[in-house]
Amino acid sequence: MPIRVAWGIQHPMSGHLTLYLDVDGDIVLNTEADVGYTHRGLEKIAEYRNFIQYVPVIERACDFDASNFALGYVRAVEALMGIEVPERAKYLRVIAAELSRIMSHLYAQALLSMTGGFETMTVWSANDRELILDLLERLSGARVTHTYIIPGGVRADIPKGFKEKAYDVLNYLERRIWDYYKMLFQNKTFQDRTMGVGVLSKQDAIELGITGPNLRASGVDFDVRRDDPYEAYDKLDFEVVVEKEGDSYARALVRFYEIAQSIKIIKQALKDLPEGPIRCKTPPMLPRGETYTRIESGRGELGVYIVGSGTNKPYRLKISAPSFRNLAGLVYLCRDIPMGDIPVIYYSLDILLLDVDR
Amino acid sequence: MSLKPIERIRTKISCWKPIKDMLNWGRAWSLWWVHYETGCCCPEIMSLVAARFDHERLGAIPFPTLRECDLIIIEGVVTKKMAKRLRMIYDQMPDPKYVIALGDCAITGGFWWDSYSVVQGVDKVVPVDVYVPGCPPRPEQILQGFRLLQKKIMEGK
Amino acid sequence: MDVERLLEEIKTKLSDVLVEAKIDRPRYASIKVKPEGMVKAATLLKENGFNHPLSVSGVDYPDRGEVEVVYHVSCLDSKSLVALKTALPRGQPSMPSLREIWRGVHFHERETWEMLGVKFEGHPELKRFLLQEDWEEGVYPLRKEFKLKPES
Repeated sequence: MPIRVAWGIQHPMSGHLTLYLDVDGDIVLNTEADVGYTHRGLEKIAEYRNFIQYVPVIERACDFDASNFALGYVRAVEALMGIEVPERAKYLRVIAAELSRIMSHLYAQALLSMTGGFETMTVWSANDRELILDLLERLSGARVTHTYIIPGGVRADIPKGFKEKAYDVLNYLERRIWDYYKMLFQNKTFQDRTMGVGVLSKQDAIELGITGPNLRASGVDFDVRRDDPYEAYDKLDFEVVVEKEGDSYARALVRFYEIAQSIKIIKQALKDLPEGPIRCKTPPMLPRGETYTRIESGRGELGVYIVGSGTNKPYRLKISAPSFRNLAGLVYLCRDIPMGDIPVIYYSLDILLLDVDR
Repeated sequence: MSLKPIERIRTKISCWKPIKDMLNWGRAWSLWWVHYETGCCCPEIMSLVAARFDHERLGAIPFPTLRECDLIIIEGVVTKKMAKRLRMIYDQMPDPKYVIALGDCAITGGFWWDSYSVVQGVDKVVPVDVYVPGCPPRPEQILQGFRLLQKKIMEGK
Repeated sequence: MDVERLLEEIKTKLSDVLVEAKIDRPRYASIKVKPEGMVKAATLLKENGFNHPLSVSGVDYPDRGEVEVVYHVSCLDSKSLVALKTALPRGQPSMPSLREIWRGVHFHERETWEMLGVKFEGHPELKRFLLQEDWEEGVYPLRKEFKLKPES
């Protein structure tokens, strides 16, 4: 006889989410997700702020990956205005975006290892995140919400001594992540906990609209940075990581290899940085019209649909967040599984409730 | 057998100043806080837990069970949907309990001052002991918030 | 299938419900159809490889008296995007749900109903999602008549 259990609002996982589970013994038969506990009305607020004031607001939509979200919004504004930023600004934007992506993936790895009981990995990943946060603080002045990318270019040029410090940190990190591989991914307990858990097949992943590392872990070879390139990504050389099994282990492994690829991209961008201005002029008003642009953020694809009104405030702004689509994957996967697998699936899908609720 | 004489003796002893100081010292240096992470100030809490800005040297650790915690750190936005549940969580914690309001969004509503679903300030829902402003506040500021709370407890609240 | 060939197919097979079809930039097209032709257009898109749904949005145009619903769908093989739009009358906006065609739009349609009041017929779960439980019935936050008031 199934009974209804609330995987409550306050639970040892992160974020405010209630999952109503129909359980029979220890097996979950069906799941219903109750979200909206951090809904702030970002889309309505966009109609009341002008387009420059909105850049810090959208960074708080997901602050582990702040630069990527700001980049997505700023690209939509620039596509509507029809302007193109200078070359140096494009490379600087790539550096900020990739540092953000490394930060986001390290955080996801820290949380996933906490569920397996590997608190050592949590502290290691959090410590190495501090080095990246220091680099971002040198670049933009703030640790978490940078507001570095603005319509027209970037806010400031790289300071003196940044390149040497960045090479130091990146060389150290390149050696260090192989310690993570030996400690976590080759550990038998972690493999037993995550292999074969939460398998998402290729067809299901495409039909549910999943994007980003979760899609690539199910065997689909698609990455917006290579297939619909933006900023300076068409001139940089990197690989797209694809795994075939679609289980939690594959998703964690894709994120891990993406950290290595991001380090490679940042080194190339620092070496090939061209001279020139870092900002161009933007018109003071948003023209009439509408457009949709997309970028690859740490969690998946971020799409921004903007309708301009002729004033400096947008008429309508729609943020199509990656975690909102991954939530459909969570509800689909949490069926006919033992209850102890739910944290592993939740963390391996890398859902951030701030993104879902906006 | 009535426990009243034992209760009377217990109350008399714990009002005696040296014992009271010792109890307050114990409470101040073992603040266990609830896992309640709304999100925006969350990266700074993560940095606080890690080895660089270690807060465990002050005796504080995050603890999953509500009934054994005495501190709740409210960081980030409190929406109207969440306010009812926040009050339930606060009521379930045993006495004595303390509240730190972290970040501008918890103190006054912050960026979302005109939003239709945000409670403008968490002190409308629970009583707050220490306010730590910032958006987000640096880990050193949060450590200072902990120290202020410890001083407040040691002085007898 | 890439967008140029797709637009040819659409112009031949959907000529009775098509309002507008154009290519905005390389590999991005937008198609506007009448409300009764949405299911047919969606089925045609899915047959031609556009089976990865990305988002559903609604835009409120009180001066034109309509609410526009936009579906963004992508094709992973040809790396292109299509925006499928329709305009519904503002008093009673309702259209058939496209959940049977694209499974991933389940939560997106639920949110559009809650924020703008568009009723998707055939959707099994149109109830409160992101707003608080005691939110007033019939008040939709993203409509233009709902104004934000700062609470002091």
